[in-house]
Amino acid sequence: MSVKAKNQLRIDLREKIIKLASKTPTAHPHIGSCMSCIDILIQTLIYEMKPQDKFILSKGHASLALYVVLNYLKKISNKDLDTYFSEGTEFGIHTPSTRPNDIPVATGSLGHGLSFAVGIAKAFKFLKATNSTYAVVSGALRRVYCLMSDGECNEGAVWEAAQFASSHKLSNLTALIDRNRLQAFGKTKDVLGDAASVSKWKAFGFNVIVCDGHNLSQIEGAFSRMKKIKSSKPNMIICNTIRGKGIRAIEGKVESNYTAMVGESYKQALEDIKRL
Amino acid sequence: MRYKFAEILLKQAKKDNKIILMTGDLGAHLFEPLREELGDRFINAGVAEHNMVTAAAGMAYVGFKPWIYSIAPFVTIKVLEEIRNDICLHNYNVKMVGLGGGYDYAIAGPTHHVLNDVALMMTLPHIKIYTPGFSEDLEGIVHKMSKENFPAYLRLTKAEKLDFSLSSYSGVRRLSKGKKLTVVVLGSIINRVIPAIIKFPKEIVDVWLVSEFPLRIPIELLQSIRKTKTVCVIEEHVQTGGLGHHFNHILRENKISFKHFVHLYAKGYISQRYGSRDFYLKESGLDKESIKKVIESLV
Repeated sequence: MSVKAKNQLRIDLREKIIKLASKTPTAHPHIGSCMSCIDILIQTLIYEMKPQDKFILSKGHASLALYVVLNYLKKISNKDLDTYFSEGTEFGIHTPSTRPNDIPVATGSLGHGLSFAVGIAKAFKFLKATNSTYAVVSGALRRVYCLMSDGECNEGAVWEAAQFASSHKLSNLTALIDRNRLQAFGKTKDVLGDAASVSKWKAFGFNVIVCDGHNLSQIEGAFSRMKKIKSSKPNMIICNTIRGKGIRAIEGKVESNYTAMVGESYKQALEDIKRL
Repeated sequence: MRYKFAEILLKQAKKDNKIILMTGDLGAHLFEPLREELGDRFINAGVAEHNMVTAAAGMAYVGFKPWIYSIAPFVTIKVLEEIRNDICLHNYNVKMVGLGGGYDYAIAGPTHHVLNDVALMMTLPHIKIYTPGFSEDLEGIVHKMSKENFPAYLRLTKAEKLDFSLSSYSGVRRLSKGKKLTVVVLGSIINRVIPAIIKFPKEIVDVWLVSEFPLRIPIELLQSIRKTKTVCVIEEHVQTGGLGHHFNHILRENKISFKHFVHLYAKGYISQRYGSRDFYLKESGLDKESIKKVIESLV
């Protein structure tokens, strides 16, 4: 796909998110977080992952961004996606437990995803050790990807999982952090400090690569650099992002997660994203 | 019970290469043979129980059968959210094994006891709970747990050798037959109940042991209560959400009438002092002598 077409996809999926978010007059879809991580999801799920790989959205509050990507990949039908936020829907504010193939674990409570991902990565390694054809597809060990937010790294369990990943040499694990430097009620630096710092993740035994989380070529470059590293360490790609990216009025603001897609905000958001 | 558990799991692991044992840094002088047999599938997950539980869920997702092991409060209360969200909500096949139900950890104190595990775990979806009263029951229980393809919690305790002839295992079973009083016991405290009633004349106390939840009451137990009209539930667990509550609910649902319902349960830490298991049991009225007195008063 050309650079232009990929950029159009960034706009189209943002448009879909905003339209779905407008189904509720509330701010519950976490529009800021969705805009922050949608480019990472596009590059990871659509262009990077093999069908046999697994993806965990640990920052489950950005579920709407995952839903539209899975919809693009035809894993969630238009009909099902249109039920978002309706009574009786399968797709609520946080990821469901009913789609295990594409959403292995229901998240929402932060700090769980990386542990689940290390469990899968370890299980793939067990299978490889027994020469299982399930574990190795076309000569490549199955991989696990896990996207966290930087605020989420406040959680102690994240660091338990990090220790497990490095001590078990889970080189088939690629963690990603959507580092927008904001959390629910403040800047990460003012709350508990930058838990997504390169030095912390290096100290916990990860290969660490930093990229612009809104530039698909840069994210792609980070993945290819990661693949060239010959080491048994788990991998971390820290993606620098802007919460609310594409919707000017809320970009980089704490309020970005408390903005409903209604009235003028909705109309302006749809206009803004065209300028990406 | 833990030695018996390790011995039986070792047998299972030899037959089933999907079994993984994860321990929260416990099991010295216990799990060495399992470590040798399992190789990489024996994982010391470190003092990191939150990760251990969720990583086990991830392994179960891929199709493995992880058993996770620690001191009982550390695989229940400490990680309740991980168990709820990552295991039970999805019905992933993870077995949680807690060592030291009730006051078993004695002078180690309240942080190492668990008095509300049945209550907590029973509120979770898809889960089954095993509360063995005898080491002899572990063979059947571990075998059953291995065959079942859903989450389960096993409450291990320190068993004591009793001079008592055991009937074959089932989730709720009669241990001795009697006509005057129906005694229903949760797992571990059976080792104080049997010595309390052993010298009673035969055919007086109808004793039943509960080792599985959700509770399924055999018809013979309901018939026993219809006859005796007096029930005494004994458990090393707090009143709320324990055997007494579950059992009473079933009696009401089945419209079983009775004259007396006496519930002996763990009352926590009355004196705030430390001691042996019997020290705590005595404070709660669960020691052999206190149980004996209550039963004498009821028959």
